[in-house]
Amino acid sequence: MATVPVRLRPGRLLVWLVVAFDLLVLLWLVLSSFKSAGEIFAGPFGLPADWRLDNWARAWEVSEFGPAILRTVVVVAATALGTVVVAAPAAYALSRLTTRTSGPLTTFFAMGLGVPIQAIMLPLFVAMSQLGLVNSLGGLIIVYVATSIPFAVFFLTAFFRSLPGDLEEAAALDGAGPLRTFWQIMLPLARSGLVTLVILNVIGHWSEGLLSLIFLQDPAQQTLPLALLNFMTRVQYSGADWGGLFAAIAIVILPLLLVYLWLGRRIIEGMTLGSGK
Amino acid sequence: MEGQRLMATATVEAPAAVRPAAQPGSPLTRARRRLYLPFVLPALAVYLLVFIVPSLFTVVLSFAKWAGAGPIEWVGLANYRRLWYDEVFHSSLVNTLLILVGVGFLTFLFSFGLTMVLREMAGRKFARAVIFFPNAVSALAISILWGFLFQADGLVNALLRLAGVDTVPRWLADDNLFYVICLGLVWVNTGFYTTILMAAVDRIPAYLYEAADLEGASSWQKFRNVTLPLMWDAVAVSATLWAISAIKIFEFIYVFAGAAGSVPTTKAWTLSLYAYAEAFQPTGEARYGASAAATMVTLVLIVVLTLLTRRVTRRESLEY
Repeated sequence: MATVPVRLRPGRLLVWLVVAFDLLVLLWLVLSSFKSAGEIFAGPFGLPADWRLDNWARAWEVSEFGPAILRTVVVVAATALGTVVVAAPAAYALSRLTTRTSGPLTTFFAMGLGVPIQAIMLPLFVAMSQLGLVNSLGGLIIVYVATSIPFAVFFLTAFFRSLPGDLEEAAALDGAGPLRTFWQIMLPLARSGLVTLVILNVIGHWSEGLLSLIFLQDPAQQTLPLALLNFMTRVQYSGADWGGLFAAIAIVILPLLLVYLWLGRRIIEGMTLGSGK
Repeated sequence: MEGQRLMATATVEAPAAVRPAAQPGSPLTRARRRLYLPFVLPALAVYLLVFIVPSLFTVVLSFAKWAGAGPIEWVGLANYRRLWYDEVFHSSLVNTLLILVGVGFLTFLFSFGLTMVLREMAGRKFARAVIFFPNAVSALAISILWGFLFQADGLVNALLRLAGVDTVPRWLADDNLFYVICLGLVWVNTGFYTTILMAAVDRIPAYLYEAADLEGASSWQKFRNVTLPLMWDAVAVSATLWAISAIKIFEFIYVFAGAAGSVPTTKAWTLSLYAYAEAFQPTGEARYGASAAATMVTLVLIVVLTLLTRRVTRRESLEY
């Protein structure tokens, strides 16, 4: 018998152990979502004796995921759109229409990256409740757009700055006004940056917890993360419907997992942007 | 969510002047200048009104007694004095520092280790994608899952029993809960920072390692003398990023509450949990002043740590 060509070094073993752990957790989640509570604990990695699709149906019904997902989709879409509409022109102006204030202003926007949510939640909550914007999706969207701005401006400024200037000059020579240059030349050029920003924004807000807890206190208005939290509570009080809980977690995670499988490289690059030079 | 992705201010520098499309003073330049304000103002207005003004108001609130309505009563440093004597605040502060230092140390230790191994490994893209995945899906759902792993009959104990351990710890007891949370944070964040460091390592030219191989360098020597110096910028940014995001962690801990609308055991609180609970705890009176004061402590901590990390990690950038 030939000798094994590759030695299994302890380091590699460690990497694969971590990888295996992550995959096992995922597998365990999916398998458990089809099992009865007893089965989940008896044999964590056995196949379900009978596949209980009713876990999923029950999780969907009891948690009221349907309307919650609908609300979340509205919030997430409006937030992403609002963020791009507000941040893209600003980032363009800061990076391309340089004036004396653009440098300090860029830094000023970036400072927001270090400000934690806690620092704004109290005054904002009081102000919003006086405007009648608590327990309203519109209010939450405004807050989300505002808290997205530091990162969005930071991200898009860097992106616009990396675009070549030649096309802008060419457009100007051909008689296009500055507004038209932005709309018809620069925005399309920046499309991949905008798309990455939207993806990150959507993923982030799909399961955002702190602000939604504060601004949507009415159960009738709850978004997906709140519905999941409420369902978790109900499961713990009402006799351990663990299968249902796993199904609920799967319902929240799987769409994101699919997006990750589809756009993985882009998501990773976007999330870790700024770490390079 | 913000905490994870938001990039460190360390990476932000004033923009290098972009070559103007025409000479200053030309009609074109003036037309472009006219666009500047209308483009910047909406973002600036939203940012100021919903972000900066509330933050400043929180500073004011930290010196006042207020329950969200009615007159604001000035109390000077009373809120801060209260924090000084509040044992729950002490443990929240200690926990925050534990996450910052302890979880941070383990996370970077593992990240360096994984980066060192991943660099010269087959299947690294796949491994990296899997290790990163907890960051790309819902933090909330991931932490519920994490808690579930440690249930009395959960997966971890099942594995321990298989390994022959009969007396399994009560992971989710009040005294242990925080450590379970810390382990989970190490798990999730190792994936994140490994990815950042890997991206830097990927840019290091292969011939440097070939040269090192010819000299007979060991894995450790290659890491110490080639990888580490050349990825130092990424390390510096990661450290700043960690300092900022670690202090903001909220959802991962909140999920371990017994019920919706309540908060977990005070033994697992951090500064962000403390600030939330003081203001929005459903039982008891809202103590906005104490919450604001705790937030001020958080902000000061963030500023100090950012400056400190930048100072400690400052090195001359190496060209290659």
